Amino acid sequence: MARHILQTEGQVCPFPLVEAKQAIAGLDVGDELVIDFDCTQATEAIPQWAAENDYPVTHFDRTGDASWTITVQKA
Amino acid sequence: MILTGLLLGAALGFVMQRGRFCVTGAFRDVWIARRTRWLTAFFVVIAIQSAGVFALQSAGVLTLPTSNLALPAVLVGSLLFGVGIVLAGGCATGTYYRSGEGLVGSWIALGLYALFASVMKNGALAGVNEEFRAQRVEASTLYGTLGVSPWVLVAVLLAGTGAAVWWHLSRRKKVAQLPARYTGLRHWLFEKPWDPFVTAVLVAVIAIAAYPLSFATGRESGLGITTPSANIVSFLVTGEVDFARSWSVLLVLGILVGSYAAAKGAGEFKIRVPDARTTVRAIAGGTLMGVGAAWAGGCTIGNSMVQTAQLSFQGWLALLFTFLGVGLGARLFITSHRRTGALTSPATTAAPQPARV
Repeated sequence: MARHILQTEGQVCPFPLVEAKQAIAGLDVGDELVIDFDCTQATEAIPQWAAENDYPVTHFDRTGDASWTITVQKA
Repeated sequence: MILTGLLLGAALGFVMQRGRFCVTGAFRDVWIARRTRWLTAFFVVIAIQSAGVFALQSAGVLTLPTSNLALPAVLVGSLLFGVGIVLAGGCATGTYYRSGEGLVGSWIALGLYALFASVMKNGALAGVNEEFRAQRVEASTLYGTLGVSPWVLVAVLLAGTGAAVWWHLSRRKKVAQLPARYTGLRHWLFEKPWDPFVTAVLVAVIAIAAYPLSFATGRESGLGITTPSANIVSFLVTGEVDFARSWSVLLVLGILVGSYAAAKGAGEFKIRVPDARTTVRAIAGGTLMGVGAAWAGGCTIGNSMVQTAQLSFQGWLALLFTFLGVGLGARLFITSHRRTGALTSPATTAAPQPARV
């Protein structure tokens, strides 16, 4: 099981989610994708996308003012 | 009395920021992800507001002004506006509330949108704008042309939207949430994720309240963003105040205040400087938004959300063509998006590449 990091700070919505979709397509089942982002709307869009695809969210937290990290596992 | 504009704008900015309500996102999701959840929430705003505004009219509180449709200007303007909001990353109202969150790219887009709306409405291109908008057809409201009571269409709108909401709610899944830091009211206001449909009901209530509050100051319409944005620029460069429109100027300034308060209270305010590509897109997007909204006679709020609720041809055609413009913009600027070196892993750590403009 590998852990990949996607740094999207500075990318405005919807690009963090667009890049997350591109990134997860190349991952193996069970791999984790860590997405760091600072666009507010993605706090709704990324967990919603994970839920709709039945990808478990193993970590989701703030890393500072307007700064977040979420870990999505490919399933 | 015009201070109600500031208060209502602040409420709107607060609700939109906390609710992550974004009309651009609602339209864009349909094109790039085949998702209609946010579009359905947007229709909730139209449907409830429509019931509210026709109830106010039936009660004799107000009479909605109607005018003949500036068909070519509305179609072309809305299409340009749709492309513009994809480039700017938010519609006019979205750009206002993201400005309050500290996004410098949104400040740039907002400045150009207001500038070009002013150039088109009050400035050098006013003649071009008026000539295009003078091409009108004999059509005003959907119910007038169909020869039915507006309530028939309101009922259809409510039933269709209600069915769509039920469909989405019945498929709702458990979504991951950020760990809670606060309790009580502070948790509800500044932390808990708001359901899109709850947010939509709150936006609808604000949109309905806008009518009597605005009519009371002599401005006979509902929520509006483009004309006051243009008037702010015109006031700044000429010093002339249009008092009849001051309510809406305070409304848009209120959005900044409300979204700033919401973002600050939630720890979501940060000055965020865009990269070269985002900056160029904000400039192009803001310009297209200003020109497009002036031709169309409104933005996603004034046309797609307010004129639609009034069941006018202008509103529904603007909604359709803005939606098509968003599809075009998404095809040109989003689905083709690639950023080399975006993904890294401990095994393959690549150096980040400069962003492509």
